[in-house]
Amino acid sequence: MKSVTASETVVKTTAARNIGSSPGLQRSVRHYALEVFALLAGAVIWESLGWSLGLQWLPPFSQVLVALVQFLASGLILSNLQSSLLSLIVGFALSLVFGLFLGALMGRYRVVEKAFDVYVHALFVCPSILFAPIFFAIFGLSDASRIAIIFVYSTFVIVINTATAIRTVEPSLVEMAYSFGCREHQIFTRILLPASLPLVFAGIRLGMGRAVKGMINGEMLIAFVGLGALAQKYGAQFDAAKVFAIAMVVLIIGLVSNAFVQALESRLTRWAD
Amino acid sequence: MIRVKNLTKEFGSMDNGGGGVLALSSIDFEVRDNEFVTVIGPSGCGKTTLLRIIAGLISYQHGEVSIDSHPVVGPGPERAVVFQNFALLPWTDVLGNVTFGLDVRGATKNDSQAKAKELIKLVGLEGFERRLPKELSGGMQQRVGLARALAVNPRILLMDEPFGALDEQTRRLLQEQLLQLWERERKTVVFITHSMEEAVMLGDRVMLMTPRPGKVKEMIDIPLKRPRPPDIEKSAAFIEIKEYLWENLRAMQTDQP
Repeated sequence: MKSVTASETVVKTTAARNIGSSPGLQRSVRHYALEVFALLAGAVIWESLGWSLGLQWLPPFSQVLVALVQFLASGLILSNLQSSLLSLIVGFALSLVFGLFLGALMGRYRVVEKAFDVYVHALFVCPSILFAPIFFAIFGLSDASRIAIIFVYSTFVIVINTATAIRTVEPSLVEMAYSFGCREHQIFTRILLPASLPLVFAGIRLGMGRAVKGMINGEMLIAFVGLGALAQKYGAQFDAAKVFAIAMVVLIIGLVSNAFVQALESRLTRWAD
Repeated sequence: MIRVKNLTKEFGSMDNGGGGVLALSSIDFEVRDNEFVTVIGPSGCGKTTLLRIIAGLISYQHGEVSIDSHPVVGPGPERAVVFQNFALLPWTDVLGNVTFGLDVRGATKNDSQAKAKELIKLVGLEGFERRLPKELSGGMQQRVGLARALAVNPRILLMDEPFGALDEQTRRLLQEQLLQLWERERKTVVFITHSMEEAVMLGDRVMLMTPRPGKVKEMIDIPLKRPRPPDIEKSAAFIEIKEYLWENLRAMQTDQP
């Protein structure tokens, strides 16, 4: 079969293939060095302010590190961390399943959107911690209270982002799919889901951050367990070094979970860069 | 054969209320098997609406649209559409895009890939199978769109200003190549365009439409021999038809000084 030849030029071909070679690598090394430098500078400033001001609520950074090491050595942090993380994972998984499901339906079907929109936005705007006493009344001093708080914190931003993502999928792609005879479920799996992935992931990342907040808030205010309870306890004793040490643990949880979602995201949505 | 009879399409009207926009009014025409019909008219005359109705993508209020005497109630395997904005899936490569129609119709992976590779070669994109759409020029993207439509082996090809988003040189190249492809396998084609040269260069007949509400002003035979060489546009017959189209279209323009 004789074929017609392509005589237009190819755009971006070699440039696109070269990402990851030396110039890109150099840039990422430079960014990394900058980040390390910013962290070191922050630590030095904190340390010197801590010594020079002598404020009770601002212990030198080194004392925070000492407190952190003591926590780790005594196993106090690890046991509390374990229980906190478990409820974080369960709560976030529930909100992920529910949020993606409801969000997808709201994005696709106007009726569903009309029915749920006002509730979703109200619950999104409302400070989730308001529900703490209610969950406490329902679930008592159990992990379920914590999980419920985490769920309320993280679900609605995922719903809203997913609905927007599905609703704003390029209509011509959906039309194209119909023209090739796609059924509704094929429209979902072959067009809407992949097309909405970048925005959906943005929502998942926001939801993840809110889930960590929900975890700590729930622990501090209702279920007096886990990291939140520890922070509450040392806060009441005005032991700022230990509170900061716990804050650092939470910070690391936040960063690690974010990095995890981001890694997944960049694997799945490389095409959108 | 595509038969459109007394077709009327109104947008935005509730059945009781009225007050919608009349896009198409009493459209009547036929496209014979293996015929290439180009459709031209002023902006907003409803050409694209007409194509989408034939494709089964939107509904219509009155009249009949049928293919081989079967009324059109939705998309069908005998038809495939090539879109003006290409409508390629940005997350999958050329191969994934060309196999799309075969995949959704349940072809096995081996079959659809073999068929897709054949068509990728046919449209001149061999070697680009693993490229993403964003790595291709507009002309190459529309070749992918064409290959995707041809892959499902439709009898009827519906083309909605397929070269409208391309620059002049790319457009002429693709016109020539489309003609070559069509000479090899004469499918029934309905081709929407706003270019008079394109309408005359490609079509067996040109359907001239009026401004909104769109009606068929005239069906014009193009008596140019096939296969048509690229320099046919210098021939007297070509220029005459083109001028005739322009006279008509110019008379329809509402925004002239």
